[in-house]
Amino acid sequence: MIEFNEVGLRYGRGPEVLRDLTFAISPGSFHFLTGASGAGKTTLLRLLLLSLSPTRGTIHMFGEDVSVLDQEKRLRLRRRIGIVFQEFRLLDHLTTFENVALPLRVRGEPESAYRANVEELLEWVGLGDRMAVNPALLSGGEKQRAAIARAVIAKPELLLADEPTGNVDPDLSQRLLHLFVELNRMGTTIVLATHARDFLKRFDFPRLELTKDGFSING
Amino acid sequence: MADTKIRLRPAKRGFAIVPERLVTGRTLMFLIAIMTFLSSVTLGAVLLVQQSAVGWSADIGRQVTIQIMARPGEVMASNLRSAVALAEATPGVASTRVLSEAEGQALLEPWFGTGFDLSALSIPRLIVVNLSDPKGADIDQLAINLTNAVPGASLDTHDLWRTQLNSMAGTIVVSGLLVFALIVAATVLAVIFSTLGTMASNREIVDVLHFIGASNRFIAGEFQSRFLAIGLQGGILGGGAALVFFFTAGFITGSVLPVQNATQISVFFGQFLPGLYGLFGLVAVVLVIAGLTGLTSRVTVHRFLNRISV
Repeated sequence: MIEFNEVGLRYGRGPEVLRDLTFAISPGSFHFLTGASGAGKTTLLRLLLLSLSPTRGTIHMFGEDVSVLDQEKRLRLRRRIGIVFQEFRLLDHLTTFENVALPLRVRGEPESAYRANVEELLEWVGLGDRMAVNPALLSGGEKQRAAIARAVIAKPELLLADEPTGNVDPDLSQRLLHLFVELNRMGTTIVLATHARDFLKRFDFPRLELTKDGFSING
Repeated sequence: MADTKIRLRPAKRGFAIVPERLVTGRTLMFLIAIMTFLSSVTLGAVLLVQQSAVGWSADIGRQVTIQIMARPGEVMASNLRSAVALAEATPGVASTRVLSEAEGQALLEPWFGTGFDLSALSIPRLIVVNLSDPKGADIDQLAINLTNAVPGASLDTHDLWRTQLNSMAGTIVVSGLLVFALIVAATVLAVIFSTLGTMASNREIVDVLHFIGASNRFIAGEFQSRFLAIGLQGGILGGGAALVFFFTAGFITGSVLPVQNATQISVFFGQFLPGLYGLFGLVAVVLVIAGLTGLTSRVTVHRFLNRISV
């Protein structure tokens, strides 16, 4: 599904933030992405989200060389990827329902086609009674569940999560992680960036480790 | 600050992705309202001058004036009869009218005032010649005949006046159109600045839309819809104000000004009321300004998105 070959990236003329990344991610797998703050986890996720291009090396995703993609093809690939951010990034002027429905709305689907699915998903993540309120009235855990629902509503093949439990309490972290595991069991490929060591101990998923010296794959 | 308003029911149709209350929205709406008002008044003034000039020119073109100077030894009454006969024998002439001495003196009142004794002056007598066919009338031949047969007679076709009038009206029209073009250019620049400001302050929305797979075309369309709505609101406000202005101006000339002044204004400039064509023009200005706002924002958003896209 994803192949990185000798990938490096630098911003402008600065030093390389990522260097010599070579790895492959197969469909249906679950990978943790770990590393100290500033090691480049978010940058790697942005490469996987196609919102950045590498300055060297090649990336193949879904069988396509991403360096030669035009905007239209890049957009089509991006729609096969879901993303969850640590800081949620919900749009404050929209309701929970509208935030979660956003990926379907931008694809041009009419509300009648997706309303039932969005409501069902919101029920599934425990936000059935919160769908008409704005994010400002949601708790941290509710916001993150809404963000996860938004990321998966369009049934992405690859789900990226950037420290999704960083802003919630430990108990909720566990529940959210189980939500990701459940999504993975349903067939979604997941790359989850985290520095929570208890997760890494509890779940025996392979780890993409970014360090200041380089990159390694464990497990 | 976050919008904490609770909506009892989610929107039934596609919900608006760009916030209805943009940071720059209200300012831009008032700016567009002012620009629409100025555009409407400018175009209204241009149309008024242009139509008045055409009217004047046509009116003057349907008349020529025979002027007969008093000469020693000549009988004015005889000369007048001869001139009238020559004029009425000319093809394309509908009628003639000899102005009395009193009417001739009355024409000089604006310069000399009333009560001035003009009897000491040798005032020429005038014959107004109305033309039924200004293009077909042989005015040149009439002028030659008058010169040969009536001592002291000359023919005034008002050509010099018409030329100056058309030249002045043309200058006003061109100046008005230039002002209109400048207003449109200023509107476009204001919309560009406002759009860029809106995009910068709503960068989070743009980024999120990108991350969830929205195309640049979709994002530009969403922002364009919002700006088109702002343009329409501002346009209607400005157009409405212009309409009120025209009616107020019409009311003032018709009711508030002294009758003599109002009549003069009416004679020179016609009615201030816009009429059916004027109303169509006003609606057209509103639509053009609104459309221009939407289009400008779309182009600006596209450029912004292309700049930030990978």
